[in-house]
Amino acid sequence: MSERGDPVLVLDGLEKTYGEVRALDGCAFAVERGRMLGFLGPNGAGKTTTMRAIFGLVRLDAGSVTWDGRPVTDAERLRFGYMPEARGLYPKMKARDQLVYLGMLHGLTRSDARRAADRWLETLGVGERAEDPVEELSHGNQQRVQLAASLVHDPELLVLDEPFSGLDPLGVETMAEVLRAQADAGTAVVFSSHQLDLVEDLCEDVAIIDRGRIVLAGNVRELKDASRYRRLELELEDGGEFLRRLTGVVAHEVDGDRHRLLVDKDTDVRELLAAASSTARIREFAYTTPSLNDLFREAVTR
Amino acid sequence: MTSLQTMRLVAGREFRERGRSRAYLVSSAVTLLIILAMIVVPAVLRSQGRTFTVGILGSGNEPILAAAEALTAADEFPTTLRRVAFEARDEAVAALEAGEVDAVLVDGRELVVATAGGFGGSDLERLLQQAAGTRRIQDLLAGDEAAADVVEILTSDALEVVPLRGERGREVGQRGVIAYGGLVLMYIAILSYGTWMLTGVTEEKSNRVVEVLLATTKPWQLLAGKMIGIGLLGILQFVGTVVAAVVALRVTELFDLPAIPVDLLVAMVAWFLLGYAVYSAAYGAAGSLVSRAEDAQTAAFPMTLVAIAGFFASFRALDDPSSTTAVVLSFVPPVAPFVVPVRVAFGAIPAWEHALAAGVTVVFLALLVRLAGRVYSGALLHQGGRISFRDAFRSAEV
Repeated sequence: MSERGDPVLVLDGLEKTYGEVRALDGCAFAVERGRMLGFLGPNGAGKTTTMRAIFGLVRLDAGSVTWDGRPVTDAERLRFGYMPEARGLYPKMKARDQLVYLGMLHGLTRSDARRAADRWLETLGVGERAEDPVEELSHGNQQRVQLAASLVHDPELLVLDEPFSGLDPLGVETMAEVLRAQADAGTAVVFSSHQLDLVEDLCEDVAIIDRGRIVLAGNVRELKDASRYRRLELELEDGGEFLRRLTGVVAHEVDGDRHRLLVDKDTDVRELLAAASSTARIREFAYTTPSLNDLFREAVTR
Repeated sequence: MTSLQTMRLVAGREFRERGRSRAYLVSSAVTLLIILAMIVVPAVLRSQGRTFTVGILGSGNEPILAAAEALTAADEFPTTLRRVAFEARDEAVAALEAGEVDAVLVDGRELVVATAGGFGGSDLERLLQQAAGTRRIQDLLAGDEAAADVVEILTSDALEVVPLRGERGREVGQRGVIAYGGLVLMYIAILSYGTWMLTGVTEEKSNRVVEVLLATTKPWQLLAGKMIGIGLLGILQFVGTVVAAVVALRVTELFDLPAIPVDLLVAMVAWFLLGYAVYSAAYGAAGSLVSRAEDAQTAAFPMTLVAIAGFFASFRALDDPSSTTAVVLSFVPPVAPFVVPVRVAFGAIPAWEHALAAGVTVVFLALLVRLAGRVYSGALLHQGGRISFRDAFRSAEV
């Protein structure tokens, strides 16, 4: 058994073609125990296909998915939890019965499944609705039950396709807390999202996929440090002309007195500050590593 | 988790969730009520004996009416004929139109009835025809002692028929009725449970729960579990209905069963299972092709058509259970479940033929389940619109 921090789920060289469309083109990345990986990419980049491949729902043309160094079999998949992008539960079945059924399909005994179902419904704040048919729950509560469905058997790997989409801020908070707690307890967590701020806050690791291939992957902090760019934010009382003469500017947004720039890593900050203070009054100045958003845009530039 | 455990869980869910659904409880109750009504109502009516009101015009009518009463006198519940005399034809016709009389007998040679009636006319018409015929013979052979013999000859079969297989006489009619009733029940049961399978699969696909399920189960386990769960409910309802019908028949003595025909019951249940399995596998595959409940019936239309054809083909077997058509159809798997029980009812199928027919159907079923499983697995994760049978077969992913 691998230790926390070792890659436990390894995807290597995944390839899949649907007719003319190349959905996966050598997609490869790894997920570690006890860590969260944000799986990012534009629509149609291959996120859902990759996640389905982990569960054997896609017959791959090439490549392998391994768990703890061995190819994933049905027995391993029983210890995985999955929340597909296309949410789905039996509308007329009671929330608890549904979770008990799914828990048992994952190999739990009936009594264990009952206990786990109640525990998760309670944790996610839908304990009072346990006896209600799912169709009578609000959208947000259905999503909570859906999350519970992927957690009921205490999986070692949690794969969630867009878990935050359609949630209100409170729902997002609950979801984030639960995922964080799972990772802290040693579960390997992978989720896809378009909410980059959230991923930046939540995840240690990211993998960015574009056109079926991973274009950037690794630890978020390290990726930021390694970036060729830095983010520069200035609020100037007047002037700002000098910024036009600055070399190594990749992007420059102006919003009134506010300037947001992405500059070359080698740009001399002291020189810049001196130039700025000689021509304008600086109200605010920030020099940081690029945001995940910046990394993402750079990685998937078309 | 073994496949068996998974299938048991899937089957158990179907059984519990559907078994306590209002649709199942209501359909069970309604089926039971209809079957009991079909048996009890005629029994009650018959036990009161029948009474007809006959209008009489002119002379020479009474001997016929008397003969008619004499014909039914030996029955357990004799028919009573009330007579209403008329002076003029107009009056008689008016009374007939008004429904005051059931028919008008004119001068012992003419019978005026309100409508042409169905095949063979009404019971009253048949009775009076028979009575009039009897009277004629008696008049013709007046005083001759042979008169009674002639009547006897004309109203019964002259040759005693000794069949090598199957039985004759009263029992044939009874077994025929059981076969017919069983056939209708089976047709309804196979189609309704097949439809459950159809809509159940489409629902799982349209509400997308199927992707969660497929993450831990194989498509064939899901398909087989569903077939078993719904099949158990079906067999419960089917056997319950058949047992209730047999009990009702014995209690009401609508016709006396020599004994409950165990061979027939066993054959009916066995063929019901085979028929259900064939159609539910096919319906399951059809249901997986579409994503919306509205499209499900369209996708299943070919199967429904085959079932309807099979149902009508089995009437041919009812007419002549040993005909070439009946024999050939016993070996056509989707039709055999309708035809074979009918032939069993009449004892018109040799054991080897019965075994072979069952064997052919089982082999067909095995192939069909594989095919259905493949289509099912290829189609399940295809969202939006309808996927063709061929594409589903080709793109089977898991």
